[in-house]
Parts: sequence; structure tokens; C-alpha cells
Amino acid sequence: MMVMLAVAFFSWWYGQGWKSVLDSYDTRLKTSGEYFSVKQLLRTLFAPWRRIISYSGTSLADRFKAWGDNIVSRVVGFTVRCIVLFASLLFAVAIIIFTTIELLAWPLLPVLAPILIFVGLLG
Amino acid sequence: MNESIDLKSSRAQQARLGKRIGKTGYVILLSFSAICVVLGIMSLVSGSSFAISLVGLALFGILPAIWWKQQLSVVPVTSPTLNGRMSVDVLTRLKPGQELNPRSVWESLNGHWQAAFFSNHLLLDKESVAMALSNNPADFTQAIAVATKLADDNESPSVEVGFIVAGLLLTSEPFTQLLSRIKSQPADVESMADWLGRDLREQRTIHQSFGGIGRDWAFGYTPLLNRFGRNISMSIMNNGAHFGWLTKSEGVLAVESAFNNHASAVVLLGDDGIGKSSSVYALAQRMIEGNVVPSLAYHQIISLNATDITSRARGQGDLEQIMISLVNEASRAGHVVLFFDNAQLFFAEGPGTFDASQILLSIVQAQAVPMIFAMSPSDFQRLRTSNQSLANQLTSVVIQELPEPSVMHVLEDTAVGLENNNHVLISYEALREAYHLSGRYNQDQAYPGKAIKLLDQSIAHANNSVVTAASVQQSIEQSYGVKVGSVAPQEADALLHLEDDIHKRMINQTYAVQAVSSALRRARAGVTNPKRPIGSFMFLGPTGVGKTELAKAIAATYFGAEEALIRLDMSEYQQPDDVQRLLATGQNETSSLLMSIRKQPFTVVLFDEIEKAHPNLLNLFLQLLDEGQLTDNAGKAASFKDAVIIATSNAGAQSIRERIAQGQSLDSFASEFTDELINGGQFKPELINRFDDIILFRPLTAGELAQVVLLMMNEVNQTLSNQNITVELTPAAIAKIVEQGNDPRLGARPMRRALQKAVEDTIAQRILKGQINPGDHTVLDAPDLTF
Repeated sequence: MMVMLAVAFFSWWYGQGWKSVLDSYDTRLKTSGEYFSVKQLLRTLFAPWRRIISYSGTSLADRFKAWGDNIVSRVVGFTVRCIVLFASLLFAVAIIIFTTIELLAWPLLPVLAPILIFVGLLG
Repeated sequence: MNESIDLKSSRAQQARLGKRIGKTGYVILLSFSAICVVLGIMSLVSGSSFAISLVGLALFGILPAIWWKQQLSVVPVTSPTLNGRMSVDVLTRLKPGQELNPRSVWESLNGHWQAAFFSNHLLLDKESVAMALSNNPADFTQAIAVATKLADDNESPSVEVGFIVAGLLLTSEPFTQLLSRIKSQPADVESMADWLGRDLREQRTIHQSFGGIGRDWAFGYTPLLNRFGRNISMSIMNNGAHFGWLTKSEGVLAVESAFNNHASAVVLLGDDGIGKSSSVYALAQRMIEGNVVPSLAYHQIISLNATDITSRARGQGDLEQIMISLVNEASRAGHVVLFFDNAQLFFAEGPGTFDASQILLSIVQAQAVPMIFAMSPSDFQRLRTSNQSLANQLTSVVIQELPEPSVMHVLEDTAVGLENNNHVLISYEALREAYHLSGRYNQDQAYPGKAIKLLDQSIAHANNSVVTAASVQQSIEQSYGVKVGSVAPQEADALLHLEDDIHKRMINQTYAVQAVSSALRRARAGVTNPKRPIGSFMFLGPTGVGKTELAKAIAATYFGAEEALIRLDMSEYQQPDDVQRLLATGQNETSSLLMSIRKQPFTVVLFDEIEKAHPNLLNLFLQLLDEGQLTDNAGKAASFKDAVIIATSNAGAQSIRERIAQGQSLDSFASEFTDELINGGQFKPELINRFDDIILFRPLTAGELAQVVLLMMNEVNQTLSNQNITVELTPAAIAKIVEQGNDPRLGARPMRRALQKAVEDTIAQRILKGQINPGDHTVLDAPDLTF
């Protein structure tokens, strides 16, 4: 019984289990991209912040002022989006690093457990 | 494919191990690891080499925990074979070595919620189901084949407990008999399997994120819309929605397509209850799931309510200003679809409404913001009349009424919400009954709305928190005053003695009373054609012999009150245009037969002197008697299926009188007399043949007229009972009244006048003179009466 269980565990660990770690690259990056609205932010990178825009009047001064206001709104939008995009980039890098470590460490973990115990006992 | 379940397979063993470890084991493993890690850190701080061993020990906890979480607790589907896709719940509940037959499998699975889903909704206890299942292993193979097919039909990767249970029930002959005893059928089990399949599919659906944290940064703020409107998209995001069945419907796709083709405003047309608002909710759900055309991506639907806006405005000017500001805000925001539910309220002046058609016209023309209006076709027709320009700018999408299977799906999905919100169980028979009875009695709304409304109302009639067909019937009886439930013993007794009750106020005309009573009994026992009126009779005979009185007696004894009578004097319908008056639909049309029958479907409809009606009207009669319904000017049907139809006529009265005078009995000449009426051109044969019975009334004899006098005296005494006075007539007095009140041409009709003059006047004078006082019993003799 124990042997059968061990076989079942190891075959899962080095088969489907390891593959699921590999698959998690995709799902984790996708979830992160959705959470940070990466596509949406890239598409609207230079759009005014929350569509706050001034409508130009007839005089040159009014037009110039409206143009200035709208530039400010776009700069604010660009800045906020860039910050969030940068944060999402950091997050994606963290995901890649963490998942790679997980992927590399995964096959070692079952072997590592008895070794660590043994090494610890040896002092 | 005759596969059998292998309970010794690796998947089955893993499933059982997963169950044995359970959540508790999982938590223990993690806790053990955490403790090891903490101890390891402490050892490390104290410089002990044992720290490394503790980390190793921690791994011994973590690794099986991961295994349990990702594999053992779910045991994913491995292959399309039966054993590769058998649900983990089935594998853990069946014991290895157990003989697999329908009864033993049911006993192993009946504690699972999916098994209870079937037994509870069918109102069957587990023991009854077990008794109806065989213990022959060969039968289980057949059940498995059905279960696998159900799983395939429902696009379920695994063969769930519910499908196995449905397979067991559908392949058992004794269970089919058990179902018929509770007025259910195997098709109900199949429908319930589909219902469960939809529910499981919904649970499997991975809900996508609706844009993430930066979704709205490219769109404007909407403070005013947040205040005056209701954000349907956010409501679905936060609370969830179940419009999956509708998201791919023709109506929703047509709206999406219209916007994709640069339509600025769409009008959803359909009767109340047909699902216009639900279609908009489904569109919102599609948007959230990201399944819409790019032009609608990340858009949110905000619903505006005319009454809300009106109640917050200080005047007409303020109203217009609010509307303009709302639309401007939606336009600037760039991601709002405005939804005007009950849009007719935005196009009419009145309490809770205002006419914003001109403002909306300019916005629609400017294509400033996508808008959806919902209204009935008749309201849209009114808009066409009042503001054709606006009506022409709107792209119409007609929402069609759903067919029965789809309405049942909607009812099933709705029942889940109603059960959760009201803490009740709604039986499957209640769903079917809600569909049928709402279709029969609610002509004002369309499916599925009317069925949902009835189901919702039926919850108030739940018995021990269970909504059954009887609950639905009680709700209908309360709303429409009809009798649809099973006959209670008291009512059965009354029905069996209906003739006696009617004769308490009707003298003689035995055949007529018996014919009508039998029709009522047949209808109540459910042995008549439910698509026709309860009964239809033509009463023929001279004036004053009790034709109208019998109609009133039926109304009073069976339909509950003499007021349960719609009486139409056909002499008022002699012109061709008068037909329209009968079929008028306006609420103020007091002479409209259809309005009356809708208000009071459980009634007697009396067409007095039918021979005087215009022939066009008689043609309507053919439809009424054949189909049990008439269609009004707006194309809506009104049901007469719970009414008794009585037409009276004096045609041939003289002939009846003469034959009776010659000593002939009614039975002997009834058939010949009817032929005479047809041959004489007084009635068309197709009309006469459509009545259930043609009943001849004969003139009353002097003895019967004396009994009529006694009945009328009962009424006088009832009136005087307030003053505690009773009056009695001597036989001579009765004979004198009969003599004075009898007119061969008018029957018993002058009798009331004679009684009034002779008795009531005499009593009134004596009361005023103080000759009769409260508590007195007065006997009037013939000489006391003056005419």
C-alpha cells in the first residue's frame, strides 16, 4: 500500500505536478497583466487623465489655455500609467524569477527532504 | 459501450486517499511544517545544527500538502473513458468490493447534494426512491450509459453524482410509475439533469477580470450618473448574475450588432415580462466577460429611472437640466451606455414621468452616447405618433417570446435565487404549474416574466417552506378568483348537491338546472376540454320563466356571488360597429366584454336576447365557444376558459307555450323545436351546434308561481329581519297575488311588481301607522291586500 502510494506521489510530482508549475508562468503573468490593465494602459498611454479636458473658446488666449490644460491632463495620465506599467513590469519579473526558482527546485524537493534531515542529524 | 466503474483504479484509490486526508489532514500537514520551520529558525538562532533537519521535516509536511491540494482533493479527469472521468465524489462514496446495482449505488450517493437536488425537487423521500430501484447489477450498466450521455449532453468533463442519479432514475420502470403517481414524468428528471448541468457549468466558468485597476483611467468621472442612475455592470460585477442563458440570444446579439454598425440608439420592443431588461443585463454580462465587439469593450451600462429623476427635480426646467447634464456626462465619460427602462415614461407628461423626447432626439442625432430604450410595441407606436423623428432614429430590436423549454430554463435558474433568498424549496411540479397557470390566466404579460411573477407570489403560499403545485394554484386562486386547486371535501359535497342549492332560489326547470350543474361538476373534476369554456348553454323559452334567474343562481351558488355575472343585453349590439365596443381594450371601456372577463375570469357570461345581436357578433361567438378565447383590437387574447357561457333567447316562445298548452312535454319536442329555429333562419346551425346544450324552459304553472311568491316573500322577510318583523301570507293571499301577477306573455316577471304593490306597500303603511312593531309576526290574508 505504502509503495503504491509512494509511486503515485512520485509519478504525480515529476509528471503532472511539475508540468503545472510550468503552466503557471502563463496564468500568473496573464493574471498580473489583467490586474494592472497593461493592454488598456498601453493603448491609452497618452490619453488625458480621466478625460479631463478643456474646450477651447474663440480667442487665441482661450485656445492656448485649453491646449495647455489638455497637455497637463495628458502628462498626468502618462505619468500615472507609466508608474503602474513599471510596477506591473517589476511584478512580472518577480513572477518569472519566483516561478523559475520553483520550477528548478521542484524536482529537488522530495530528494532534499531526507538529505536535510540526515545532514542535520549528522551535525 | 458497456464500461463499468473500476473502484480499484489508481484514480479511485487517490480519490479515497484524498478524502481520508481531507481538509483537516491538509491543515495538520501545513501546521506541522510551520512548526518545524519556526523551530528550525529558533535552532538556527541558537546555533544548533538540528535546524537543517527541521527544514527537512517541514518539507515532509509541505510536499504531501501540495499533492493533496493539487491532485488528491480534485483527482482531475485523465481520459474520456468512464473511469478516467468519473467524478471524485462518486469514487469516494462507492466502496471497493461493493456490488454495484441501482439500489446500492443510490444508497451510497443519496447523501450528496446532487442526489438531494433530485429527490427534494421531486418531493420524494430517499426510501421511496430506493424501493423503486432494482438490485440487479445489469441494470446499473444501463444507468451508467444514460449518465455518461447526460454528462456529454451537458458538456461536463466528469460524470457527476447528479448524472449517475438521473441515470438510475431514468432507467427504472418502477420509478417511472412512482413519478406518474406524483403527476411527474421522466422528462422532468431529464430537465432537472439539464438544470444541474447548467449550474455545474456556471460553477466551472472562470470569470475574467473586467479590466483591472487602470480600466477606468481613460474614461471620465460620472458623479451625476452615479447619483441618478443604477450601474448595471457594477451591480453584476459585485453581486454576480445568471444571464448566461441569454447572453447569446438573438436579441442581445442584435443590440451588439446594431452598435457595431454605428447605431446610436437601440429600442428593445416587447411586451411586459418578455425579457427586455434581462437582455440588457445579459449584454452587460457579455461586456464584463469581454465577449463584445471592441466598440463596447469596457463599457458600463447605466440605467436611468424616470420616476427617480422626476422626484429629485424641482420643476420642468430643472428636469431638462438634469437630463442634459446626465447625457453630457455619459458622453464625456466615453464608456457609458445609457439604458432607459420603461422608456415610455420619458416620453409622456404625467405623475412620475416627463417628456424628454426633444432632448433625447438631439442627443441621438448627435450620436453622442450609445443608448438603449425598452418599451412595448404599443408605446413605441405612440412615440411614432408623438415624435416620429425620434422614433425613426432608433434601431428597433424585437424581443421574441421564448418557447416553453427556454421559459422552463429561466424558471429553473430563477428558482435557485428564490430558494436562496426566501429559504424555501421549490418543487419541480411548482415550476411546471407556474408555467401553465401563468399562461392560462395572465394575458397582460409575456413569458417568462409572468411565470416568474407567479412563482414569486406562490412563495407566500409555501407549506412548511416547500413551494408545491398547490402553492401556485392557491396564488392563482387568490389573484384571479378562479378554482384550479384540487377539490376539497366540503366543495365536493357542495358540487354534488348543486341542484339542491340552485333550487333554493329556482322553481322547477329541473332539466336546465341539472344540465348546468353537471357541466360545472365535469369542469371542476377536470374531465372537460380545458381549452373551451366550462360550459356553454343556450336557454330558450318565454319571458319570465327563470332563464336569467338560473344564470344568477349559478353565479351565486358556484361562482361565489351574484356579482360574478357579466350580463350583456344583445339588443344594444345590433349595429356592425358594436362588435368593436365588445372588443375594446381601454381601461375605461366599461362596456368591453374583454376588459370585464380579464378582471373577472371566473364568472358567468350572460348574453341576453342573443337573437337581437348583429350577425357579425354571432361570428365572434363561434370563436369564443370553439377556442375559449377572444382577441381584442390590440391582438391580445382574453380567456373564457373559466367561464360559463349562457345565451338566452325568446325565439319561438309562442310555439313553446302552445305545445305545453297542448300537453306536450319539453323532452318530446325539444329536438324538433331546435330544427324549426334553424330552418326558420333564426339561428345558424353552426352556432347552435357549438353550444354544449340547448335548454328549453317551459312556462310556469299556477302552482309553481305560488312557490315563486313564497321565494319572493323570503326575500321580503330577510329585508325586514333588521326590524325583527316577520310576515306570512295565507294560501288565499298567495293565490290572489298569483292571479294578479300572472301574465301568460310575461311569465313570472309581473309577480314581483304585484308583490311589491300588495305586500310591501301594505306592510309599509302598517309600520308607519304603528300597527306593526319590532318583534311582531304578521299574517296577511287576501282581503288585506290591495292592488
